[in-house]
Amino acid sequence: MSTISLKIEFGGGLELLFANQRSHRIDIPALVPVSAPSAAGPLSTDEQESQKKPADVTYLLYWLRDNLLKEREELFMEHGTVRPGVLVLINDTDWELEGEGDYQLKNNDEIVFISTLHGG
Amino acid sequence: MSCGNPQAEPDALMQRKKKYDKTRNCVRCKDAIGNIVIRHAVYCKYCFFPLTTHKFRRALEPNVNAKPDGPRKTALKPAGTLLVGFSGGLGSSVLLDLVYKCYVSLDKSTMPAEGGRDHPRHERVWKKITVCYVEVCDAFPGTPDRTEDVTKFVSRYDELQLATLRIQDAFDPAWWEKIGGRMSFADIGVSLADEALFIGSLTQSHLDPLAALRAYLSSLPTPTAVHSAIQTLVRVLLLHSALHTGASHLILGTSLTSLAISLISGVAQGSGFNIREETSEEWYPDTGVTNVPEYWPDEGRKGKRLKRTVRVVRPLRDIGMKECAAWAWWSHIPVVGKETWLWPGAKPGIGTLTKEFILGLEQDYPSTVSTIVRTCAKLQPKGEVEGKCILCGRPAQRGVQNWKAQIAIRSQPPPPPAADARAALSPAPVVAEPPFQASLTPYLCYTCHTTLTSRSARPVPTPWPDLARPSVVSLPVWTAARLSVSAESEGAEMVEPTDEEVVRQRKMGQDEMKSIVNEFLLED
Amino acid sequence: MPPRLCALCHAVRAILKRPKTGQQICKECFFYVFETEIHNTVTEAKLFKPGDRVAIGASGGKDSTVLAHVMKTLNERYSYGLDLFLLSIDEGITGYRDDSLETVKRNQQQYDMPLKILSYDELYGWTMDAIVTQIGKKNNCTFCGVFRRQALDRGAAILNVDHIVTGHNADDIAETVLMNIMRGDIARLGRCTSICTQGEDTIKRSKPFKYAYEKEIVMYAYFKKLDYFSTECIYSPDAYRGHARAFLKDLEVSRPSAIIDIIHSGEAFEIKEDVKATQKSQQTCRRCGYMSSNELCKACTLLEGLERGMAHAVATDRGRKKLDADDHAPENLRTIPFFQLPASSRPNSTAPIEAAS
Repeated sequence: MSTISLKIEFGGGLELLFANQRSHRIDIPALVPVSAPSAAGPLSTDEQESQKKPADVTYLLYWLRDNLLKEREELFMEHGTVRPGVLVLINDTDWELEGEGDYQLKNNDEIVFISTLHGG
Repeated sequence: MSCGNPQAEPDALMQRKKKYDKTRNCVRCKDAIGNIVIRHAVYCKYCFFPLTTHKFRRALEPNVNAKPDGPRKTALKPAGTLLVGFSGGLGSSVLLDLVYKCYVSLDKSTMPAEGGRDHPRHERVWKKITVCYVEVCDAFPGTPDRTEDVTKFVSRYDELQLATLRIQDAFDPAWWEKIGGRMSFADIGVSLADEALFIGSLTQSHLDPLAALRAYLSSLPTPTAVHSAIQTLVRVLLLHSALHTGASHLILGTSLTSLAISLISGVAQGSGFNIREETSEEWYPDTGVTNVPEYWPDEGRKGKRLKRTVRVVRPLRDIGMKECAAWAWWSHIPVVGKETWLWPGAKPGIGTLTKEFILGLEQDYPSTVSTIVRTCAKLQPKGEVEGKCILCGRPAQRGVQNWKAQIAIRSQPPPPPAADARAALSPAPVVAEPPFQASLTPYLCYTCHTTLTSRSARPVPTPWPDLARPSVVSLPVWTAARLSVSAESEGAEMVEPTDEEVVRQRKMGQDEMKSIVNEFLLED
Repeated sequence: MPPRLCALCHAVRAILKRPKTGQQICKECFFYVFETEIHNTVTEAKLFKPGDRVAIGASGGKDSTVLAHVMKTLNERYSYGLDLFLLSIDEGITGYRDDSLETVKRNQQQYDMPLKILSYDELYGWTMDAIVTQIGKKNNCTFCGVFRRQALDRGAAILNVDHIVTGHNADDIAETVLMNIMRGDIARLGRCTSICTQGEDTIKRSKPFKYAYEKEIVMYAYFKKLDYFSTECIYSPDAYRGHARAFLKDLEVSRPSAIIDIIHSGEAFEIKEDVKATQKSQQTCRRCGYMSSNELCKACTLLEGLERGMAHAVATDRGRKKLDADDHAPENLRTIPFFQLPASSRPNSTAPIEAAS
């Protein structure tokens, strides 16, 4: 099964939820089950092998939650997306310009999550 | 009459819009592919920095000279130095970075292109810039002290001086004396046990400041009150520090997003009368209780000396939290972070609820925060001012206690069932105060009175549940000082005659004063 | 917990905790404070004059049912000298208004007040059922809201009354304050906390429940055993409830005084003078004579949209403006009868009802 390699960075205090480590290098499957990660629920494993789609950012969110997150999930995700107040950059560009959760990940993409909630 | 669903009234719903306008190109240079969406508009990274700097200067610089002006033509000549209120959070970190680049290192990237090298903007403007950090950790159990991190952070910026305070300084006579406060404390405090807010004698006269702070916070009725009390303490500590260090300006790192949150949260706490102060404020201390430094308005040291005032400006008020996060990330600012004010069992207060609500709304309706700020900028207080609130120092509205008593009857027993019909015609009286016991109530603004008296439906745990709570708790030093001064002096003498033009101070009624005197000074 | 005495009379065991103040009080004291606060609101704002003819906007729901009861009670207790009427609007929603109109008819008997029911069908030639058939469930609330507001005024004109009172409560007003700040509606923000609104060409309208908590209205109905219908409109199911309402409820849980504190805030500010100057002035609709901020009032615009089968277009601001600019209405268009204020605009010589000194 082919995988893609991603660079993940956390800032603005979000790193505290991820073992206080700001920078991570991860590998995730290039193709994922079609119905798997969605706003509706967690990853389901028993999907038909034939139904696959390229991994997107929403898939990555669930992957990070299930594999990298150490504590207080609610500070990272809410309603199937990032919690309000978290800025996401995909290769240094606001994810709102890239289709947010629907962005299809490519090998060596750099995804940054920055919390803006560290007060004024 | 309605259909039972007020939301269904016409135009009650806000339309959801798409995240950005037509193209992915930067709207400024029209050339580069954009990196960030700011309220539907797309900007590239290179245009983002000058845009943000421009917004910062536009919010601050018209307020630098004593006479605020519009688009500036003249040189910037502040009447004093600059104090930067620093919390360690994202907003104030970005603020500090901007201040440094614009006025200390004179970073070329922050200079407007027009105007040439001799343009007045290419100046340092401030003779001295001090960063003031108030460490709040001692207010909550188990909260780490960030002072060292903050010291390290500020030391990245040469020529910026750091002054650190602790939240309990608000209860420390030593701090009060240091900044020129008048030391004439009678040992008086307030009972927060019920709505009457009776002023009483402190059982332990010289409580250590930390214990006094914790007793005060633990006696507050709601989590909302604890948060709001701490915000007020920090604000007044910063204001007095500014005054004392000769600062004419106190700037805060309130972003557009935070400002919208504090406006709505303020409205929900009854502070509609002070909605203007949430954005900008011209503060002067109570001359009866502190020494107010003077200065010559002109360089020649001629003419009449003026009493110092402090202008509070929020230069990030047009810059959203998202932009702050992008600035910090792209400029590699190691944000220290600000602790959430929590304690075991604490329920979210109004501030926290408002923050969650606004941030959630902003995600779907990115214009919400700027709409809130723009709408509130079109408002002015309505009704008469009656002096300044003894706790928060902001203008207090006249007649709020009568208003409260009219709309919620709290003390009037109903007439006996067989009462004469005419008796029922008499109006409901205002809250009856038992004779000879002074209350803090008449000195408070609506919001502070609500903070001290309004309760949750169920009791809530306090930050320090194991603390023995005295029946009478200490008040912040500036409040205690003003009460003492009021009690000592007679009528109008509490106001220095020279200050009439700037200071409107509440004149106390004879009875009211007498009751304070009776209770605290003449007993035994 | 040991039985507690009422915080007000100190004589009887407390049986409820007042949502507004948190005080534990007895039933009789609750009735007393609830009614007296309404009385305070009425006298403080000088809402009525003896002899006024007052229509109570009655929907059969909790607010208006309790309002009818309290208005009658206070009118008798304090000798206001008001002639009270019930005025109901029938939107024409099968299965929604039917039951609640029964409640209103029962109130007519119980309180011995004349009742007028005015239907959308009668006034506009359209029931909400018919409107929804044409435009679907989206946007239908816009039609209903605009039509209802005008219908109340027109019903009041038919009854020849001086004044309409509605059951808007403190929660409604607090929510409106928040909503108007968040969507930048400065004109509405300026007037939404006024207890009484009266333009030159409209009938005086006021909200005696301005400071009454929704929860206390329900509590009052419960203890007084007043029956009412809490039917939910079939065209605006619960999911429709707005953000502001949910937020307000959260605030109330956190600190119950929040509702009254928001209203206080709303009363403590006003629109700056220079902003006021830029506000649109009111005029009268050239087609039906009702007050309007444009040439055509909203009801006429919406009605024309329905008649021409282009209702979707007029439900937006832009669509309305377009229609407004288009001067000539097509022939045979059904229109709303011309609006006129009641002839008996009473002389202003009588003093308003105030608290006796």
